[in-house]
Amino acid sequence: MSFDVPDDLRYLESHEWLRTESETTRIGITDFAQDELGDVVFVELPAAGDELTAGEAFGVVESIKAVSDIYAPVSGTVTAVNEALFDQPELINEDPFEEGWMLEAELADEGELDELLDADAYRDQIE
Amino acid sequence: MTTYDQASWKDEDDDRHEPLLSEKANERVAIEDSPLPDDLTRDSLELPAPAEPALARHYTRLSQMNYGVESGPFPLGSCTMKYNPSFTEDIAARPEAAVHPDRPDRTVQGTLGLCHRLQDYLGRIGGMDAVTLQPPAGAAGEFTGIQIANAYHQHNGDDRSEVLIPDSAHGTNFATAAMAGYSVVELPSGDDGRVDIDALEAAISEETAALMLTNPNTLGLFERDIERIADIVHDAGGLLYYDGANLNALLGQARPGDMGFDVMHYNVHKTFATPHGGGGPGAGPVGVTEALAPFLPDPHVRQRNGEYEYYRPDHSIGKVHGYYGNWPVLVKAFAYITRLGDAGLADASAKAVLNANYLATQIPYEVPFGPFHHEFVASAGEQDAADVAKGMLDHGVHPPTTKWPETVDEALMTEPTEGESLRSLDQLAAAFEAVHDEDDGTLAAAPTRTAASRIDQVRAARSPRLSWQALDSDQ
Amino acid sequence: MTSPYAPHTDAETETMLSAVGVNEIDALFDVPDAVAFDAEFGIPAHGERGARREAAELLGQNADLTEFLGRGHYTHYVPSVVDDLASRSEFLTSYTQYQPEVAQGFLQALFEYQSMLVELTGLDVANCSMYDEATALGEAATLSQRVRSVSGETILVPDHLRDGKRAVLENYADGPGLSVKSYPMADGRVDIAALAETIDDDVALVYAETPTVRGVIEECLADIGVLADDNDALFCLGSDPIALALLERPADVGADVVVGDAASLGMGTAYGFGLGMFVTREEYLRQVPGRLVGASEDNDGRRAYTLTLQTREQHIRKERATSNICTNQAWVALRAAMHAAWLGPDGLVDLAEDCVTRANDLAARLDEIAGVQAPVHSGHHFREFVAHTDQPAPAIVDDLTAEGYAIHAIDDHLIQISTTEVTAEAVDGLVGAIAEVTK
Repeated sequence: MSFDVPDDLRYLESHEWLRTESETTRIGITDFAQDELGDVVFVELPAAGDELTAGEAFGVVESIKAVSDIYAPVSGTVTAVNEALFDQPELINEDPFEEGWMLEAELADEGELDELLDADAYRDQIE
Repeated sequence: MTTYDQASWKDEDDDRHEPLLSEKANERVAIEDSPLPDDLTRDSLELPAPAEPALARHYTRLSQMNYGVESGPFPLGSCTMKYNPSFTEDIAARPEAAVHPDRPDRTVQGTLGLCHRLQDYLGRIGGMDAVTLQPPAGAAGEFTGIQIANAYHQHNGDDRSEVLIPDSAHGTNFATAAMAGYSVVELPSGDDGRVDIDALEAAISEETAALMLTNPNTLGLFERDIERIADIVHDAGGLLYYDGANLNALLGQARPGDMGFDVMHYNVHKTFATPHGGGGPGAGPVGVTEALAPFLPDPHVRQRNGEYEYYRPDHSIGKVHGYYGNWPVLVKAFAYITRLGDAGLADASAKAVLNANYLATQIPYEVPFGPFHHEFVASAGEQDAADVAKGMLDHGVHPPTTKWPETVDEALMTEPTEGESLRSLDQLAAAFEAVHDEDDGTLAAAPTRTAASRIDQVRAARSPRLSWQALDSDQ
Repeated sequence: MTSPYAPHTDAETETMLSAVGVNEIDALFDVPDAVAFDAEFGIPAHGERGARREAAELLGQNADLTEFLGRGHYTHYVPSVVDDLASRSEFLTSYTQYQPEVAQGFLQALFEYQSMLVELTGLDVANCSMYDEATALGEAATLSQRVRSVSGETILVPDHLRDGKRAVLENYADGPGLSVKSYPMADGRVDIAALAETIDDDVALVYAETPTVRGVIEECLADIGVLADDNDALFCLGSDPIALALLERPADVGADVVVGDAASLGMGTAYGFGLGMFVTREEYLRQVPGRLVGASEDNDGRRAYTLTLQTREQHIRKERATSNICTNQAWVALRAAMHAAWLGPDGLVDLAEDCVTRANDLAARLDEIAGVQAPVHSGHHFREFVAHTDQPAPAIVDDLTAEGYAIHAIDDHLIQISTTEVTAEAVDGLVGAIAEVTK
């Protein structure tokens, strides 16, 4: 089985992705992660204004039989939350890299981006 | 091979099974002319009001859409679903047993006497010096035991912060330790499925309040190094806690007290055959060594000058149930133990272990770990264990516990108990066999012969509807 | 002897042993000699008749008293049909509904039980049971710590609270480091002015009961709700399903959690054996302890029931579960639901009204006896009341025991009497006996 791993994203070993576009940075979980979890039924996310610390859990994603923490790839401040997920957590399964995004954040330290995996390194990890 | 068609009541013109009571006979009454002023009462109340014949039919139909130990084999691993003898129900229903908990001790000498006898019996069975009957279930017993360990350490001026638990342990162990305010340190199992002594030595410290252990463990394996484990824990100043979920493996063969355990709980709905009632009630008595007896819950029963009485142990942890625990369940356990005695109890474990070992030789699935006792964990291999379970439902047997412990891939945790005959074990084996030979597509569509076919769990969790009011507001 | 519930013949045992490849069952036990048990428990086997006789002999030593006892555990008549239906082995001998397709009957019964509690409280979510009222209160206290809008660490309870309930609460409060403090009662119910003085930002949960442990119906529940709200605390109300059939709906007075003992329906007196109600608002759904039954659909598109939101529970979330509870009181919940349905709303309201009038009537009769003032507290009573006696209460209770009656002594000169399932003759007898022993 092969999983979608977009080339333009950065990744954490714990299966979160991060996309930087001009002003905003988006964070979510990968195709591999959503497949491992199975049907997502619930997601718990912080609110706009909350602080993120790189490597620490910021939320929880649940399927029927499993609960997983979601870890912050970088430190920063939450600027937006994908509220569509509260009513349609299945977006995480259906479209993990686009419609299923979780947070937008303002980075505290751009240097932290260098610590993340690139697509090739992440592909190696999940294969 | 057996096939099974569970009774099922369906309304052909509708999308439901047996209608809810509220759909059959709801009635709203206004609260008027009550003996209380209006501002202290509600306006109205709407509840079902079936006539007694309709009520009897409703619940009889519901019972027919339910599977119990008397329906067929129930080899649910770690749950010890053994036959529940009828006569224990008669004893628990005796009018003299139905007394109020606030009666003075001297007017309930029978109740206290029975409790005292049961405390004594359980102490002998577990090799423990004192036993409390107060915890109302196994998990409450765990909480009691860990609170006792906590109080003991505190009493010795010893502030400890961690509880060690093997990765294959029951989920309640982890939750209990956290509830009591401890950090949980999870111990990885060794390659043989047992406690990894090196991992234990690495994890143990002066922060260790207790190690919680099930023996035989959830794979059915006896912890052969139990003496060494006990020494390691005790040398570090910690206590050893015995989770009694698997005690039905050992009656008459070994006792937790002799293995070095300081505190244990008994699951009476497992080992001592009280009915589980579709989720409860249980009872979770806790046994302790002499050193821990002063910390037992308040009150405790003792005999003095020929009379039974309650007293508060010197350093009691206080209470874990509002009164004295699940009394009717304790009466049933007392009746079962009294009926069987030494030899009967030992034979129950012997036959439980024989049944598990026999069944394992008759099924087409591999059992990676052994030698096991009253239960074994087979692997469904390439099949999905949850689908295997659904497939078995169509053969008139309850399936094993599935997908746990995680130390075995696609686990089928199977505990047939002593109550199954050779014939019913063969029936069970045939069900395993049939499902083993089934293709994935058929299994994914199973079950088809039960009252309801496969139920959509995702839908239930994504939009929870937890009452008939929620169904109404949905439509 | 062998276990009477292990059906093996010797020949079958031999067949099985040879299939396994051992000569005797003992060879299957992998127990090191050093910890093997080779002695006897010393528990004689009695057989079924003998065991029944043993138990009957023991229990026969309980004194035969007519009980006028309450204070949290009540006797109400349970119709035979409840015993009969609940004893069906498909219910009684079943397990937790981990395979819902084969357990629709029990799941539906629990769904109906949850729904009845939703109607009685006006709140949104009822779980399918805790052990008893005391442990349900303990769970409410720990729930308060998982609710984001609550920041305090104090649980406020009335100073008239059953000792047992408070002691259980303190054990539950111990782990998360909460402190349990009491607020004053006046005339048998909440002293609202004193509560207003006691409550502050550090309070996480305020607990009150109606009826109170002294049988008084609380009259300022809505004010307690407002006080709790103003201090970002949860309001937990203790009651029972019979009282709730008549009294104000908890949702209308601002209750966030309702706990109580529902075994007053379906169970009768059972030495404190209970059924913990736990009902709360939808916003706390993810924090609810214990099992929840929800509606879904099966493969054929029919409505079907299943345990749901199990990720809250210990078998999945382990040390981060909302509670360690696993086995609960499901069968008692089944009985309570059957009893409620048998009564219907009319019957349930009638029963609740009887609880008011019977307590009133008996108190009025006792008040006529010289040396007895009843009831001590003003306001309205439910099931029970407190009376003052000029003579020492413990002595009166002892003398009444000798006459065959059981009542509570709750202080040097205070007795408490509960009127639930007693006949007119029993009431006459008690009144006569009290007149006699207080002479």
